[in-house]
Amino acid sequence: MATILVHIALVAYTGAAVAFLAWLLRARPWLTKAGRLLLLVGVVVHFAAFGVSLGVAGAGLGIPAWKGGQLFSLLAAVTVAGYLVLDFKYDLPVAGAFVAPFTVAVMVPAHLVHSDLRAIAPEVTHSLLLFLHVGAAALGTAVLALAFGLAILYLASERQVKSKRPGRLFARLPSLDLLDRAGYLLAVWGFVFLSLAIATGSLVSREVTGATFPLAPKQGFAVLAWALFASLIQARLVAGWRGRRVAMLVVAGFLLLVGTYAGLLSAAPALQGTAA
Amino acid sequence: MTVLCVGLSHKQAPIAVREQLAVKEGEIDARLRQITSLPGVREALLISTCNRIEIFAIADDRAAGEDVLESLGPTAAPHAVCRFEEEALRHLFRVAASLDSMVVGEAQILGQVKEAAVHAQRAGALGPYLSKALARATTAAKRVRTETEIARGAISLSSVAVKLAHKLLGSLEGRSVLLLGAGEMAQLAARELRSAGAHELLVANRTPQRAEELAREVGGVPVSVAELPGLLERADVAICSTAATQPVVTREMVARSLKARRYRPIFLVDLTLPRNVEPSANELENVYVYDLDDLERVAAQNRDLRSAHVSQAEQIVEEELKAFLTASHERSAVPVLARLRAHAESVARAEAEKTLAALGPLDEKQQKTVRAMASAIVNKLLHAPTSRLRAEAGEGPLGDAAAALFGLDAPQPAEPAKDAQTEGAVLPLLRRG
Repeated sequence: MATILVHIALVAYTGAAVAFLAWLLRARPWLTKAGRLLLLVGVVVHFAAFGVSLGVAGAGLGIPAWKGGQLFSLLAAVTVAGYLVLDFKYDLPVAGAFVAPFTVAVMVPAHLVHSDLRAIAPEVTHSLLLFLHVGAAALGTAVLALAFGLAILYLASERQVKSKRPGRLFARLPSLDLLDRAGYLLAVWGFVFLSLAIATGSLVSREVTGATFPLAPKQGFAVLAWALFASLIQARLVAGWRGRRVAMLVVAGFLLLVGTYAGLLSAAPALQGTAA
Repeated sequence: MTVLCVGLSHKQAPIAVREQLAVKEGEIDARLRQITSLPGVREALLISTCNRIEIFAIADDRAAGEDVLESLGPTAAPHAVCRFEEEALRHLFRVAASLDSMVVGEAQILGQVKEAAVHAQRAGALGPYLSKALARATTAAKRVRTETEIARGAISLSSVAVKLAHKLLGSLEGRSVLLLGAGEMAQLAARELRSAGAHELLVANRTPQRAEELAREVGGVPVSVAELPGLLERADVAICSTAATQPVVTREMVARSLKARRYRPIFLVDLTLPRNVEPSANELENVYVYDLDDLERVAAQNRDLRSAHVSQAEQIVEEELKAFLTASHERSAVPVLARLRAHAESVARAEAEKTLAALGPLDEKQQKTVRAMASAIVNKLLHAPTSRLRAEAGEGPLGDAAAALFGLDAPQPAEPAKDAQTEGAVLPLLRRG
């Protein structure tokens, strides 16, 4: 049942991606409406699939066994939900043209390529900490993925403004100010979730391995990303940094976060089981 | 007689060249007098705007074009274009109709052309030919505006600047705008920014009194130019249009303001020639400098959308040009006809008087009959040549042939300046259009 729902969500995401990309080529308002609606349908069905999955496991808050792909599927769903909130507030269809194809790109390998089950250490299977850790990590990553998307849009748009040679998409891009403000807001929220994910992850790790902060690529990348976002926020608040340099820092921070997930996938099974 | 047009526009020369050649308003009359003093140049019109410096002239022959070109200076030579006869007139019509403008369909150029005519008249450089051409070009321009949709949706450069400000800064609510200088386009942009929600409009001018006047006109606050560095820390958009010949806003000045601005973006719009803002300031972070050429590039996106209206406008220009050329040819044929008729009538009169003297005393009726016979012979003889000359409208060889056959001496060309002044019809002609 859950698999069918996920496939329905995937079809809806694909439709949304097509609609948004078509809008980039021909700016018809109905295309963005269709894209938004399909994303909304997709994300509702997608979360329903997670509910069904957890219900079948009968584990309440528990996260009994995760396929590697399911984690990315969750990330995709949270990213889409985050985008819909952002779009509702700022009207950013151009970001939809980035988020929808990205979601499809993440979902296809996540659900069509089967990976091994990752065994969760039994002592944390029903741990609230693990739930919080996974939730914060997923939310943080999704929000920072959106910040990354906006940063890329900012850099592309700013490049066009600076070079004074507006391209075809120039008219569809929102103002630099909006991209900067929304990107920074997302970076702040991403930083908050990332801090929570690192703190809860550290406690989960202590329960499982006894080490509060095991030295591993995953943790190293996460801390580096956290430090970078902390510096970015500090520079914005104290020195007023904004614009291009902030966008570049967001891109760098998100790439470090991607490194965290690369570390997660390559880490030892015992550690993989402990946290997202 | 030759019609020529020598000069360059935004299509031939970049802004860096145009700013070196721009003629200040106070110098236009003197420049026109200098041009009309060139050998063979009878009439002249100088259009000097931010986007073009072009001289339209009526000369004895094409060779005068070289002298006119030289008068523009060596910087112009590699970029300048020379047009002659119909091509030169077509260019004048297209310029007035805004078909050669940076933003096709913009309304400002017609006013600038009329202003150029006023200068030419004041300098005594505008003769009957150019004044009639200008009148017809004005008619064409007005037809283009009223009969096509070219002006609808045509965005002026000031509107382009406002759109870009939105693109950079999003909403303009609460933003601060600095108006530096008193250029017309800058005032338009400032007003548009104000109506788009800009919080404050700071008006700086070299003359404090002018700053106060302008501030009253645009609903802003007068400030001193001496405070410019501080104003750059405050403004989100600065529109520059001073008459300064050197950059007023330097890269260093902007760089110094950045930290105090806490890296808030600033949009510097430079609407003049020579440029007021050092172009290299655009390299600074969160600083965006747009000059006239840059605004044109953005406006060009809008141009394609109106290509259908442009072809309709071009058709109107062609119609008016053709009508002008026909009327002009007819006018040029008339002097030959008039001279031919005057010559024939004077011969007939002389012969009739000689015959009457030889015949002795005749009563009044008889004298009248003799004179009528002489006149009838002239009319019958001239009927066919007159029709042919009118039909030829001065385009073919018959006019010259008639003059040569009948020994009609060409009249001395009237002094154009004198014509323009005594006729006093140049400006009314333009206004009438």
